[in-house]
Amino acid sequence: MKRFKNAFKILSLSFLLIFACWEVVWATEVLIGQVLPLSGGAAPQGTQIKTGAEIAVEEINAEGGIKSLGGAKIKLIFGDSKSTPDGGAAETERLCTREKVSLILGAFQSGVTFPATEVAERYKTPWIVNVAVKDEITERGFKYVFRDFNKASYDILEMIKAVELFAKETGKKPKTFALMYEGTDWGRSSAQFVKKFYPEKGYKMVLEESYAPGIADFTPQILKIKAAKPDMLIVALYTPEHVLFSKQQMEQKLYLPYGLWSVGAGSEDPTFYKAVPIKAVEFMFVQDDWDVNAPQRPWFPSLDQKTKAKLGYGLNSYVACGYGTMYLVKDVLERAASTDRDKIRDAIAATDITPQTCGRIERKVDGKTYCPALVRGITRIKFDEQGQNTFSHGMITQNQKGVKIPFWPVEARPAGAKLVWPIPPWDKR
Amino acid sequence: MSAELLLSASVMGLLLGGLYASVAIGLSLIFGIIRVINFAHGGFLMMAMYASFWLWYFFQINPYLSIIVVVPLFFFFGYIVQNTLIKPMFVRERALVVEPLGVLLLMAGFDLVLANLALLFFKSDYRAIVSPIASATISLEFIELNVPRFIVLVLSFIITGGLTWLMNYTEIGVAIRAVGQNREAAALCGINVYKIYNITFGLGTAAVALAGAAMVPFYYVNPSMGLPLGVKSFIVVVLGGLGSIPGALLGGLILGIIESITAQFVTSTSAVIFSFLLFIIVLFVRPKGLMGIIEA
Repeated sequence: MKRFKNAFKILSLSFLLIFACWEVVWATEVLIGQVLPLSGGAAPQGTQIKTGAEIAVEEINAEGGIKSLGGAKIKLIFGDSKSTPDGGAAETERLCTREKVSLILGAFQSGVTFPATEVAERYKTPWIVNVAVKDEITERGFKYVFRDFNKASYDILEMIKAVELFAKETGKKPKTFALMYEGTDWGRSSAQFVKKFYPEKGYKMVLEESYAPGIADFTPQILKIKAAKPDMLIVALYTPEHVLFSKQQMEQKLYLPYGLWSVGAGSEDPTFYKAVPIKAVEFMFVQDDWDVNAPQRPWFPSLDQKTKAKLGYGLNSYVACGYGTMYLVKDVLERAASTDRDKIRDAIAATDITPQTCGRIERKVDGKTYCPALVRGITRIKFDEQGQNTFSHGMITQNQKGVKIPFWPVEARPAGAKLVWPIPPWDKR
Repeated sequence: MSAELLLSASVMGLLLGGLYASVAIGLSLIFGIIRVINFAHGGFLMMAMYASFWLWYFFQINPYLSIIVVVPLFFFFGYIVQNTLIKPMFVRERALVVEPLGVLLLMAGFDLVLANLALLFFKSDYRAIVSPIASATISLEFIELNVPRFIVLVLSFIITGGLTWLMNYTEIGVAIRAVGQNREAAALCGINVYKIYNITFGLGTAAVALAGAAMVPFYYVNPSMGLPLGVKSFIVVVLGGLGSIPGALLGGLILGIIESITAQFVTSTSAVIFSFLLFIIVLFVRPKGLMGIIEA
């Protein structure tokens, strides 16, 4: 009897071994983890990134998977951070240890990404940051963390460049600014650079204000801003607070001669524009993380339609972010030709995608080729020694009659676009 | 700090306080009578706001008009929740304790269920009514008064007045108070305790539904919106006095005014410290809250 038991043990063990080898040699699936806020405050953006990633994976798998891995399919495993740091860390732990993913993407919010990447680094799991901009995420000497998006400092520098450009073009220059931001990592990180860069260029800060998430009323803050009389107001707000603030500043007729400048997040969310009257966002400047002129590109209609079918509204920056990064992942996997975490890490570090070197991931729509990893409007993905893509950039747009018109960089400005600067008072709109 | 600014901040604080109070009154009522801390209170608010929002979205029904539908609907919803979910736990733990702890966990779980159902069916998008009534304002001397927010303030007084009248001058109100004071004695007098619980829970839910419908014009709706307002409600209820309906109104107004005025001196993230400081002081000096009848 005992002999039987031993034989059984050996037999089952060898089966296990064979299966394990099978998995390694004939990888039929590459597991990619993605930690995103699918519930809680930042859920709309999390869902948009998820949708973009899903569209890309459907395309990749339908078009033959990862060729260097014998046509292996990409399988996405999502972790819901619930928009909280501990939720993000717990899901990262699960993806690293239980799901054994080869690579993780995420996690949209800086406050979640900062601790979660620390967990991934501990498990030596490569992580490509989706959107979270806090500079320090890639400045801790981590080996496995990469970001193909802007840093917060890039966002702020773009806004300053736009202000300087507008001042030069019109001869009218704002002198003072006020700053209001949400009190977690993203807002604080953005504020840190606003406070550093704007005074260097001669702008004076007259008010700094932060708030805790879940705030139900912005009138106390608006009263304060009104009393400080800034020329412009810079805000970093997530969607719910952006809805409340935009409506209330309209009701209170908060007048900012050189405009309301939004660093993004809430103001890049299409659901935000559905929830506020057009008048509330008229003339607002937005640091947009993607190519606002994309609707003129040949690939736009097909991607826009796929987004509409899944979300009920069209392509936006975050869907494009999720989509683009997934094609960066494809490029990485083709070069790594392995599901091994360290080989993937080295392949990410060696990335250099430009429209000319896009051969591995190029797609065709209506006979025209495009580079899907660059749909966001950037021209190159190449990481510096810290893991940051130094070629990432965005655009500065102004809302005019419910449409976003890019005014910075000048090359992106459509013919005939007219900047409103300074902005007319409320009773003259 | 000019006097004008201080006055404006106080008025705005009063409006914010009205919002906190109107949401918290239902919670206070349920706690006072059934001795159950309803952790699904924020979830109920969220559901009521969705109900009112969809009525506007699909049938263009004015949110204030939707009150006629939403309030009775949520009375029955609360009635059924108490009758089918909470009552069995009371019956099971009847012999052991007066305040079954299990109900606390049950309602916390029910809140998660509600939030996730909303996430599943309504998606995570932030939605809001875009219509002129939402942004109507009255120009006062220094400030613009948002009409829908003012209506909520008025409503908080109406709900308080209405419930106080009901408790003191109707037979059902007397029965409710009797059950709240002593369950066994009330049962001995021939009061159907569980039916009273059902009605009380229904009333509490209807009160929060009323507040929710009136909030729709100026707020946003989202599956996870219940939590922050739910947490504020607990603070309001403990501050004002557990189980006291006028206490909830007072607690809400005080919290709103403090938040608004302290925000004029420090950043809003730091202003939160002051509301919690007040909370701690009240708990130390008067553990049953400002107008409380039950020890916390």
